[in-house]
Amino acid sequence: MRLTFGDEVEAFRREFQAWLAENRPSAEEMAAEPAVASAHLPGWARAWARRMFDAGWLVPGWPPELGGRHAGPVEVLAYLEELTRAGVPRTTNPQGLGIVAPSILDYGSEEQIHDYAMPVLRGERSACLGMSEPGAGSDLASLSTRAVVDGDSFVINGQKVWTSGAAYADFCFLFCRTDPQAPKHKGISVVLVDMATPGITVRPLAQIARPEHPDLTEVFLSDVVVPRSNLVGRMNDGWAMANGSLAHERGMVWLSGVMMLEQEVAGLRQTAPAALARLAPADRVVVADGLVQSCIDAAAARCLGYRGFAKLVRGGSAPEQALMKAFTSEAGQRLALRSAELGADRTVDIGPTPDSPVTGIERYFGSFGGTISAGSSEIQRNIIAEKVLGLPR
Amino acid sequence: MDLELSEDEAALRDNVRSVLASICPPAAVRAVYEGKGDPAAVWARMVELDWPGLAVPEQHGGLGMGYVAVALVAEELGRAVVPGPLLATATQFVPLVRELGAESALAGDLLARVAAGELTGTVALAEGGRWEPDAVAATARETADGWALAGTKVAVLDGAGADEVLVVARAPGTAGAEGLGVFAVPRADLAVTARTVVDPTLPLADVALDGLVVPAGRVLAAPGAAGVAEALDRAGQEATVALALGTVGACRVVFERTLEYAKVREQYGKPIGSFQALKHRLADMYLAVERATSLGYYAALTIAEDDPQRAVAASMAKAAAGECQRLVAHDGLQLHGGIGVTWENDLHFPVKRAISGDALYGNAVHHRARLARMLGFLPSEKHDGDDPEVVA
Repeated sequence: MRLTFGDEVEAFRREFQAWLAENRPSAEEMAAEPAVASAHLPGWARAWARRMFDAGWLVPGWPPELGGRHAGPVEVLAYLEELTRAGVPRTTNPQGLGIVAPSILDYGSEEQIHDYAMPVLRGERSACLGMSEPGAGSDLASLSTRAVVDGDSFVINGQKVWTSGAAYADFCFLFCRTDPQAPKHKGISVVLVDMATPGITVRPLAQIARPEHPDLTEVFLSDVVVPRSNLVGRMNDGWAMANGSLAHERGMVWLSGVMMLEQEVAGLRQTAPAALARLAPADRVVVADGLVQSCIDAAAARCLGYRGFAKLVRGGSAPEQALMKAFTSEAGQRLALRSAELGADRTVDIGPTPDSPVTGIERYFGSFGGTISAGSSEIQRNIIAEKVLGLPR
Repeated sequence: MDLELSEDEAALRDNVRSVLASICPPAAVRAVYEGKGDPAAVWARMVELDWPGLAVPEQHGGLGMGYVAVALVAEELGRAVVPGPLLATATQFVPLVRELGAESALAGDLLARVAAGELTGTVALAEGGRWEPDAVAATARETADGWALAGTKVAVLDGAGADEVLVVARAPGTAGAEGLGVFAVPRADLAVTARTVVDPTLPLADVALDGLVVPAGRVLAAPGAAGVAEALDRAGQEATVALALGTVGACRVVFERTLEYAKVREQYGKPIGSFQALKHRLADMYLAVERATSLGYYAALTIAEDDPQRAVAASMAKAAAGECQRLVAHDGLQLHGGIGVTWENDLHFPVKRAISGDALYGNAVHHRARLARMLGFLPSEKHDGDDPEVVA
């Protein structure tokens, strides 16, 4: 065990810091045209993706032709830390960069890579991920959107829900049922669907936090015709991508949760003393204890994540990584509520305020995105209990 | 940072675990609990293996191992619910003697005798349930015969068994970090009252100091000498993190036994571990154990590398260990059903060890309160020995 990484990693970190300082989008640029949904590519975001891709800083672990530089896992960790520290988003299309493009690179045809994956990496096209349905949430394999082969085409009918960014995405990485007779995991395929195809209706779903900026949508598909060549991978073999797609940079997904928590704790430590000073002394002690628990959560999340990460880097397994998603999202939720409560009579105020575009209570409502999406906390506990602890189903 | 054990560290941990399984199996723990076993037998084997000198610098005949190694041993001591003087000697007595200057003849002699397996020791620090040096009210007044001590020390680990006790007292009229001194007193010279406690593997005693006169030759640090508060802070952090990891080690055993039980105990025709209510509680226990282990390792590293975060990290580790205990000891007993509260089941040994470890050197609530001051959420009442900047 040691507190720092080796010199070569720190040299890599400094190289990226220097590049970032020169090439990052400015805070003014980002504020002038904010990304309002998770597949929205404002002009600065397109240019930023392209600069990162060309310089090999988009996915440093990949080869240069895919926007990388053959970096090792510890270097990638340092890269992600610096990006977060600088307050620069890596992408405004996280589903596209993190899941869709890598899955197409792994499973797709040369043509799909050329037409869909590479444009996502270069910031030219954005992608959404069509997974959940009204009848298939945690139990995704029960999805019923149908794709029927008709000559050289698929004809698709059905409905997706909770689809992030569909109102802005150029195409959808759509999970659909292609064999209704097969067991539910075995009749699913993935088809690439251009969002401009006739028959697609996107209805934004305003959320309880920030209803003016809906990210989640419902997507209705009615006799949508796409070329059969848009099938990704093999027919009826899509379930592998439902699991595998989430495994990209699997050793790293914990880090964003940790760093988000740390940033929120850092913000809280800035504002808390003044807010605490307004409370009666006895109240202050109780409230301060909650804040301390959030600080411990953030430090623990970092330590737990780093410990598992070190195991993976050494080629071992790190079953405790399965704990990170529920832990960091729930810790963030506790922190958001504490931060709201710190406002005392201002607990239920909504933003923008002079200090912040959103208030604690808005962050609290927003935090349910973390505890519900991509496998709810309850599903996470089932996974930990069954897959890690070996408890019977 | 790299928070996974190196090959050497893992080898040390594995070796300690396998030795402890042989010299201190559950039957030996039960024998100590039932008054039929003697912790001295376990200690004698440790002496043969040179364990007493683990943290003693090599120049004094010890193994001179760094704090990470000490912390890993402490975790294993908790895991195997090991009785005897190693914990107090290696994680409380030795660090304080070393910090106060292994250059003095007295300190050198004490360390060499520990390394030779001839001496066990402990620290009499706490008063009124508080372990911070600032809370020390016991006084030491210089007289013609030596230093006259007054006051009462509480909850001294191994206080009725250790050969040598380091007594912390202050010059009359001083407060906070000023005026603190440390005296090395043979236990036989002290008025010691053993407490009756739930866990005989972490035995506690109170020490009455009134009337005690310590000769000049037994002064490890005279009241008001430079650096005493810093030495007490550093040694206190070593003791605190050792207890934190020992508590986590005991919790891990409780968790592992509970998990195993949930897989084999059947009701309604299936293992109780197949019920979601239990699955989720076991997942939460697992998180509590891993969370506290990770903070404990981080704190151990900050001590080993003398990082300015060590005060904050030690308190976080101790708080997390205490929170872990509150969940894991409780749910371990609850999920075992009736069998868990029977004396004949071994579960209560690690449960009691975990609760006792939480209680010593400040429990979770105490360390969270310290953190509230260190992190600037509450006004600082006093010297905490901490860098106010945080963390990781």
